[in-house]
Amino acid sequence: MKQHIRSILEDALPAVDFDSDFLFSELDSLGVVTIIMILSDEYHIRIDSQDVTPRNFRTLDSIVSLVESKLKENA
Amino acid sequence: MTLEESIRHFALTAPDRVAAVCSQERISYQDLWKSIEDKASRLRSSGLQHGRPYVFRATQDIGFLIEYCAVHHAGAIAVPLGHSETESNMQTIREEVESLSFEDNISDILYTTGTTGKSKGVMLSETALVTCSENFICDMQYTADLCYIISGPLNHIASLFKIHPILSIGGTVCILDGLKDMNSFYEVLSLPFSKFATFLVPASIRMLLQFSSDRLHSYAGVIDFIETGAAPISRADMKQLSETLPHSRLYNTYGGTEIGAVCTYNFNDGRYLEGCVGHPMKHSAIEITPEGGIIVSGPTVMSGYVGDEDSTRQILRDGRIYTSDLGYVDSEGMLHITGRQGNVINVGGFKVNPEDVERAALSHPSVAECVCVPAEHPVLGTVLKLVVVLREGCTLDRHSIAAHIGTLLESHKIPVYYESVASLQRTYNGKLDRQYYQKKTLTLH
Repeated sequence: MKQHIRSILEDALPAVDFDSDFLFSELDSLGVVTIIMILSDEYHIRIDSQDVTPRNFRTLDSIVSLVESKLKENA
Repeated sequence: MTLEESIRHFALTAPDRVAAVCSQERISYQDLWKSIEDKASRLRSSGLQHGRPYVFRATQDIGFLIEYCAVHHAGAIAVPLGHSETESNMQTIREEVESLSFEDNISDILYTTGTTGKSKGVMLSETALVTCSENFICDMQYTADLCYIISGPLNHIASLFKIHPILSIGGTVCILDGLKDMNSFYEVLSLPFSKFATFLVPASIRMLLQFSSDRLHSYAGVIDFIETGAAPISRADMKQLSETLPHSRLYNTYGGTEIGAVCTYNFNDGRYLEGCVGHPMKHSAIEITPEGGIIVSGPTVMSGYVGDEDSTRQILRDGRIYTSDLGYVDSEGMLHITGRQGNVINVGGFKVNPEDVERAALSHPSVAECVCVPAEHPVLGTVLKLVVVLREGCTLDRHSIAAHIGTLLESHKIPVYYESVASLQRTYNGKLDRQYYQKKTLTLH
């Protein structure tokens, strides 16, 4: 799953370094919204404003964990 | 009354009232005025002279407010640039403005990529700033008990020109560093102010509606008004926002750095008229050319472009700005925007001149020629596509080109799609045939 998420996010945000440990601080509003829209559409999950925290968007791994927890909620 | 005269007035009449909030920091009118006087004194001591330009970074904090007002208080011209502007760009602009002399009444020079390509310095008089502020105060009914949330960059008109009306009326400005942390936005709405207002580009409204409409609705009682502009907002979003905030005033405003705030329309009227930007505001007037072009006149318009009389003459004649916007006036006297002349691409509410992107891409070692065109993304809507002719022996590395463009331009100007071609299609007179690629791209995606 991590590789797939990396691939679709890199397609949408080609200039972002998804290996960064400081992803949230390196993203701007447009980047955050792009990630939410792409993941919501791909996994049919609802990521809402409360999920957009520096912790949930710190690294690619934390984004993957967020998606996994949302999928569990849906299950 | 100028912004600085208003702050001094409230420092005397309401000294403890909160003038500005940013993160954990807040400052009263009395302390704000004292800080402005101190900073102005330091600027004068460091050699800043009356009528001379002062180039500085628009940091997203109270320090910017102090510096901006102090420059005016010292009688100089404020030239705020983006807070992430490179030092070499700062130096280029500093050299440009310092080599020129200016009319006495110029207060601000705002740099904008606008719609004409190369970055231009727009000169604004004190009269333009004051009358633009009055347009907002009168037509949107700013009041002293209002807390105005600014989340956009403070060197842009949509944010900077809100500081003037809100502090001129004795209200409070709250500065946020963007909207990516939506929780911070909602935390501000919980602060002990009786009512709030903000400016949001349509893409941000879409984001709030899509990811937090219930949460937004829970603040309906304290949101006095929301203003949008800079890009078309869909009827569906106008309707949904009106239903989410049924008692708030919701404005779609027409304005720009060269023209100020010109017209506004409260779309929470049950009609949600798409493209409508309402009646001209207090100090502004509009005319439509026979070809459908919008002309703006009134004291809010710019004085001209810095050191560029030719470009100034192209759009400013007899006190009128001939914009590149197209529109018409309906039977109620309301202006409707129907489109734009030229090649400007609208990406999530941000206007992008494709030539800026092409210039940046051409400085990448692998790019021999390129054209930037709009493309439709299935999830993100309109995005940019770069069609590239590569230098001999090079392969297409989209990440490398994107990262390179990202070091030169804002993130919304980085193309999402990349395509390598053998040569570019040109018109009969050798110009890039943008229409060809636009049609081709929109058909493909």
